Amino acid sequence: MLLGQVAVILTPPFHPAHAGEPYKPHLELFVLTYGALVAQLCKDYEKDEDVNTFLDRMGYGIGVRLIDDFLARSAVKKCRSYSETADMIAQVAFKMYLGVTPSVSCSNTAGNEFSLILDKNPLVDFVEELPAERASLCYCNLLCGVIRGALEMVQLAAEVTFLQDRLKGDAVTEIGITFLRKAEDRKHKRNK
Amino acid sequence: MAVCIAVIAKENYPLYIRSVPTENELKFHYTVHTSLDVVDEKISAMGKALVDQRELYLGLLYPTEDYKVYGYVTNSRVKFVMVVDSSNTALRDNEIRSMFRKLHNSYTDIMCNPFYNPGDRIHSRAFDSMVNSMMMQVC
Repeated sequence: MLLGQVAVILTPPFHPAHAGEPYKPHLELFVLTYGALVAQLCKDYEKDEDVNTFLDRMGYGIGVRLIDDFLARSAVKKCRSYSETADMIAQVAFKMYLGVTPSVSCSNTAGNEFSLILDKNPLVDFVEELPAERASLCYCNLLCGVIRGALEMVQLAAEVTFLQDRLKGDAVTEIGITFLRKAEDRKHKRNK
Repeated sequence: MAVCIAVIAKENYPLYIRSVPTENELKFHYTVHTSLDVVDEKISAMGKALVDQRELYLGLLYPTEDYKVYGYVTNSRVKFVMVVDSSNTALRDNEIRSMFRKLHNSYTDIMCNPFYNPGDRIHSRAFDSMVNSMMMQVC
């Protein structure tokens, strides 16, 4: 199956609405679809790392498409700093698509590493715990890919990974976003 | 407070069976097995009128000298069988119905788990703790 096709199938079903209208996601159907996807990937690939990689890639495909929908619906202004971007992801994007608002914290003094802490993760509502043979599976790795793809389309390179995962026994679910400086930005400035 | 709770699949094999006095477990297995005949009889007698919530609850299947057996069948033909101590006369019909409803809710939560294949035995901690809360406390 082409990744692009999967990305379109996986985007939460929504009615075409104009920017500004309230968005009501059919979350339970999406959660069940996501669960079926992960279960099928687990059947298809033996190694957890493979499943994680594919989830990330699929998420990337969704992210590059979702960013336009997000910008159209939310009509937010350009973010001037990395911390504004992280806040935007947590408070607007997560709220819009998953109905939860993670809390944001900055992890380093350089100001380019942030972590989103999710108290409640709707994607794992029905999953009690990971099966014993899948102990290193990142169940929500799709989210990392989505964030990475969306940021790349607004010219922000980032690395997104799971730092803590409730399914693996940690207290909370924590997603770490590290903004990387792109070399092309500096080149443009020199040419001017 | 139930003495034994069992979840039986559509093909009449047990998905989950748990009884409180664990030394006499085999007796409860037999009881549940024989109650399946009564369940099938009730289902066929009801015919097509199984959509209503009231019809899901089958009521008292049969009483014996020590205990009573209650049944509940879902629309997907999964059966819940509960064995209750006869000496516990305080248990009313409404309470049994609400216990079955809780069982049904927990069962649907398990079905939604993407790693659970329908037809597998049930190994869920949430389900276990819910069943524990319904079982009799034997000191």
